[in-house]
Amino acid sequence: MQVFTSLIVLGLCFGIFIITDIRSYKLRKENDLLSLAQLLGTSNISAIEFQDNEAANASLADLQHMSDDIVHATIADKNGKLFARYKKPGVQIGEIPPSLSRRKSLFTDNRFYVASNIVSGNEVIGRIYIESELSELALIRRNKIEIAGILLVAAIILSFLIAVVIQTYISRRLLNLVNTMQNVSSTGNYDQKIANSGKDEISILVKEFNHLLEEVKLNQQRKDEFIGIASHELKTPLTSVKGYTELLNMIEDKQPNKQYVQKVLQNVIKLEKLIQDLLDVSKIQSGQLELTMKEFDVDQLIDETINSVQMITGTHSITRETTSGNVTISGDRQRIEQVLTNLLSNAIKYSPGENKVSVSSSKTDKEVIIKIRDYGMGVAKDERQTIFERFYRAKGTSITISGFGLGLYICRDIIKRHKGNIWVEEEGEKGSAFYFSLPLEQNGRIH
Amino acid sequence: MLKRSLSLLLVCFIAATAMAQSRKEANLKAVFIYNFTRYIEWDSTSPGVNDFLIGIIGPSSVTTALMEIARTNRVGHKRIVIRRFDKPEDISTCHILFIPQNMPFSLASVLERTPKGVLTVGEANGFAKQGTAFNFIISRDKLKFEANLKSLFVAGLKVSSQLLKLAVIVD
Repeated sequence: MQVFTSLIVLGLCFGIFIITDIRSYKLRKENDLLSLAQLLGTSNISAIEFQDNEAANASLADLQHMSDDIVHATIADKNGKLFARYKKPGVQIGEIPPSLSRRKSLFTDNRFYVASNIVSGNEVIGRIYIESELSELALIRRNKIEIAGILLVAAIILSFLIAVVIQTYISRRLLNLVNTMQNVSSTGNYDQKIANSGKDEISILVKEFNHLLEEVKLNQQRKDEFIGIASHELKTPLTSVKGYTELLNMIEDKQPNKQYVQKVLQNVIKLEKLIQDLLDVSKIQSGQLELTMKEFDVDQLIDETINSVQMITGTHSITRETTSGNVTISGDRQRIEQVLTNLLSNAIKYSPGENKVSVSSSKTDKEVIIKIRDYGMGVAKDERQTIFERFYRAKGTSITISGFGLGLYICRDIIKRHKGNIWVEEEGEKGSAFYFSLPLEQNGRIH
Repeated sequence: MLKRSLSLLLVCFIAATAMAQSRKEANLKAVFIYNFTRYIEWDSTSPGVNDFLIGIIGPSSVTTALMEIARTNRVGHKRIVIRRFDKPEDISTCHILFIPQNMPFSLASVLERTPKGVLTVGEANGFAKQGTAFNFIISRDKLKFEANLKSLFVAGLKVSSQLLKLAVIVD
């Protein structure tokens, strides 16, 4: 664009420059030739008056030494009859254009004519015509166009180079900004400020971006604080509600009161779990989640967890397929149980209308891998990373299936702290399989 | 009879043509004489008259033509007056003295009587050589004129180079 603009402007300038130059050349030529015609006319007054065309011819013949361009000159008498004529040898002469009897100069394609009256006293006694070639004009035109062309090419190259330099400078900074944006959105790390200097538009953009990052970070902090405080404050009265409801459940025997109390208790437990999740997230965010490392039997834990989840659900049967053979690992038993419970209840929650969830575990040299398989709706390919993000809810399910979208986030964090991995895979025609691995070797010890 | 009248007619025609030609020549000579005045500077004090005087010795066909020019033209602001001198003794002050071809007097006698400051113009071969300032000649069917620079100098006349370049110079 820049190059194009400068091309047009320069082209116009050169065009005007060439036209002006040619015009001034023509004007100069016209003046020169008119002066010459007047001079020749005056010096031939006597020749005309004494009808001496030989003398006039001789004086016109001198033109040969004056200018190479003049190809023809004619003196006519007052009746328009030819009186004297000069022709440059070897040049073909056409007729004098009739319009010259009224005007003093005329440009044709390649010839230039001037005419001037010859006046003696007050009487017009004749007219002189001079015809000149425009060889110089063609030369001047060619030279000027050549110069203009060279300058134009130089200007294009120069402006192109400048444009390239400026564009790389601009796009480098823009790309830097874009990279940082992508980085921020993929990692969620809002501390990546971009170094900024200068006062141009991109600097303003960068400044605004940095400012935005700060704002986002601040809001994030406030939200985390709020979640922490809110979940804590909610938990305290709920503990009390739960305690008394359990008490009521124990002492109440009458129906339907006991049934109501049990309903309340079920929901209190559900609520407690939600609040516990929030509290965990808040702990993860602030780095306060601590693991109590102990050695325990993974398969035993799996069986226990299956049993306790099976107790709550009435719709699905959870089957144990393979075992790793009573592997002992070091970890936070309670937290791993939390992960298992979470994955199992997800499997049940996201496979409505089915009745089967299976759990299997296997052992390699380095780790034990646990797999929870359901036959539900599965996980879309593009969601397999994002479902582990905070507050992420699987698309199209947020209305039908309740939840905060925190379970998998907490699971991932717990597994990460155990230096393990958690992932999801497509399994068969239907459903999905969640895997997590726990290393056998921890803190340099071999189990 | 018829033959005689026919040949008479032919003679008349030839004579008429010759006359027409000579009249044309006389007119041209008159124009030339008038044009000379544009290129020659006379000492304004010498004739001491208000008219421009052209004198002619004896009869000449140029006289009529000059009269014609004199009627319609002026030299500068001066009227042109034609004077005829019948013999050399009559010659008086004038600007130009025209000496026709068939003059019955000797050229020397005329020139002898001519005062200083008079432009003498002849129309016979050799007149310029014998001392007239200008002299009409026919060269390749064209009317030309000779100029005797010495005579011009003696007469004290200033002649423009524009005129002299057209003249055939004799000594």
